[in-house]
Amino acid sequence: MARWPRRAGFHAAALGVTAVFLVPGLWVVAASLRRPGLPPPATIEWLPDPVAWSNYARIFEVLPLARYLANSLLVAGLAVPLTILVASWAGFAMAQLPARVRHALLALAVMVRMVPLTAVWLTRFLVLRELGLSDTIWALLAPVWMGSSPFFVLIFYWSFRRLPVAMFEAARLEGVGPLRIWAWIAMPLARPAVAAVALLTFVQYWSDFMNPLLYLRSDDRYTLALGLRVLQQLDATNWPLLMAGAVVMMLPVLLLLALMQRAFWPAADGERAGASLGRLGA
Amino acid sequence: MGVAATIRPRRGADARYRTTLYLLLAPFLLGVVVLVVLPVALSIGLAFTAYDGLSAPEWRGLANFRELAVDPLFHIALRNSLVFVALTVPLRLLIALGLALLLSRSRRGVGLYRVAVYVPTIVPSVAYALIWLWIFNPRYGPLNLALESLGLPAPAWLIDSTTALPAIALTALFTMGEGFVVVLAGLRSIPAECYQASAIDGAGRAATLRHITLPLLAPWLLLLTFRDVIVSAQSTFTPALLMTGGGPYYATLFVPLLMFETAFDHFRFGQGAAMMLLLLLVVGALIGLTYRAVGGWGYEDEI
Repeated sequence: MARWPRRAGFHAAALGVTAVFLVPGLWVVAASLRRPGLPPPATIEWLPDPVAWSNYARIFEVLPLARYLANSLLVAGLAVPLTILVASWAGFAMAQLPARVRHALLALAVMVRMVPLTAVWLTRFLVLRELGLSDTIWALLAPVWMGSSPFFVLIFYWSFRRLPVAMFEAARLEGVGPLRIWAWIAMPLARPAVAAVALLTFVQYWSDFMNPLLYLRSDDRYTLALGLRVLQQLDATNWPLLMAGAVVMMLPVLLLLALMQRAFWPAADGERAGASLGRLGA
Repeated sequence: MGVAATIRPRRGADARYRTTLYLLLAPFLLGVVVLVVLPVALSIGLAFTAYDGLSAPEWRGLANFRELAVDPLFHIALRNSLVFVALTVPLRLLIALGLALLLSRSRRGVGLYRVAVYVPTIVPSVAYALIWLWIFNPRYGPLNLALESLGLPAPAWLIDSTTALPAIALTALFTMGEGFVVVLAGLRSIPAECYQASAIDGAGRAATLRHITLPLLAPWLLLLTFRDVIVSAQSTFTPALLMTGGGPYYATLFVPLLMFETAFDHFRFGQGAAMMLLLLLVVGALIGLTYRAVGGWGYEDEI
C-alpha cells in the first residue's frame, strides 16, 4: 500500500533531475533553428516561428566544416583501435606478470593518471615538435601510445584479472603463445571492457580541444573542435549558427552514449564493465 | 604455475612467454616515458631557465619563481583557481553523491535517468562552453529570460566581474558524471548483509545512510575528491578561453590560461613551466591537507 506514493516520489525526483539536465539541450536545438538576425526573444522559445533548418546548411558554407568533420572522424576512428590495442596489451601483460612487477605497474598507472594535462602539455609540445609531429594528426594521436589514458589500461587489467587463471594456464601449457591467448581467449571474454574503452576513447578524441589548438596550424587539418572556435571568432553573436555547430558536434557523442549505455552502467544483472569503469577515481 | 613447473621443466618456454608479455607492455611504457615522464622532467628543468622555444635555454636559477612571487597577474590567477576549486569540488561531490543515492537501485526507467545525468559530462568541452555562453547571454540567453519571467533579478553573468567566476563554476557542476558513476559503483560494492543487519537492528533510512552507507563509501569519496582537485587544475582552460578570455578585469583568469598565454603567445616557456610547477605543488598540498583532515583512507582498499 505504502509502495505507490514512494515510487511516485522517486519518479518525480528523477524526472526533475532529468529535466534540469536535458531541457537546456532542447533550448539549444530550438536556438539553432532560429532565423539569424532576429531581435532577442521576449520569452524562452521552444520552437522558433519560422524554423530555419538552413542554419545547418549555412555553417557548412561559411566554413569547410565537412572537412573538419572528416578530420575529427579520422582522428577518433584511428584512436579507437590503436588505444584498444595498446591498452589491452598492457593490461593483459600486467595481469600475468609476477606480483612485484604488477604492483609497480599499478602504482605507475595510478600516478600517471594523477598528473594533470596542464602539467605536461607545454613540454610535451616541445617533445612532439622535436619528433617532427607538430601540425600533423599524429600529434593529436600521440596519447594512444600510452593507451590514451592509464585508466583504460586499468580497465583491461581489472577485467583480465577477473578471468580464471586456470584458463590461461591450460592454454599456456598447450604451448599457445601470449598473443594468441590474448586474441582468442582474453579479448572475447572482455567485450564489455572493449565497449567501454571504445566509447570513452572516441569521446576523448572527438572532444579534444587543447591538443588541436596547440598543434594544428594548417586549417585543412583542423578538427571540428577548432572549427567551432573559428565559427565563434567569425561572428560571436550569431547564436543560431553557433548553436547549430554545437549540435553537430554533440550529436555523434550523444548517439553513441544512447547506443552503448548498456556497456556503461553497473547494471543489475552483472557489474562487469560498469564496476571496472566505476573505479574511475583510481 | 608451481604445479606446471613440477610436472615438466619448461624454463625455456616460460622465459619466452614472459618476454612476449614484456613486449606487449612496451608500447604503453614507451608512451608513458615520452608523453609524461620526459615532459615532467623537462618542465622541472625549464622552470629554472629562460627559453623562447627556438634558441637554447638560458639558466636563470630561481629568477622565474622570484618574478612570479611578485607578479600580480599570477597572484590573481592562482587565487581564482583556488576559489574555483573551493566552489566546485565540494558541490560536485555532493551532487554526484545525491544523484547516485537517488538512482542506485534498479527500478524501471532508472537507466534512462542515469544517461540523462551523464549527458552534460559527455558533451564536448567546446560545444559545452559555447552553449553556456549563450545561456548566460543577458539579452538572448534563456537563463535571464526565465529569471525575468519569475520576477527575479537578472545579473549580467559573464560580463560582470563579480558574477563571472561563479557562473563558470556553475557550468562545472553539471559535469560530475564521472563522479556519479564512481559513487554508483561504490554503492554496489557495499555487501547486502550490511543493510540486512541494519534493518534487523531497526535502523531507519537516515540512520542507515549515516552509519552504513557513508562510512563504507568514504574511500571512494576521498579518491573522487583528489581526482576532482586535479581535474579542476586543467578543466578551467576551455571555458575561460572561449567564454570570457580571462576577463572581465581578469575575474576568470585561471593558472592554465595564464600559462598558455605566457608560453604560446609570449614564448616564455621557462616562466610557464615555473607556473606549472607551482600549480602542481599547490594541488599536491591541497590533496595532502585533505588526506590529513579526514585521517587516511578509512580502510585499506585493494586496487
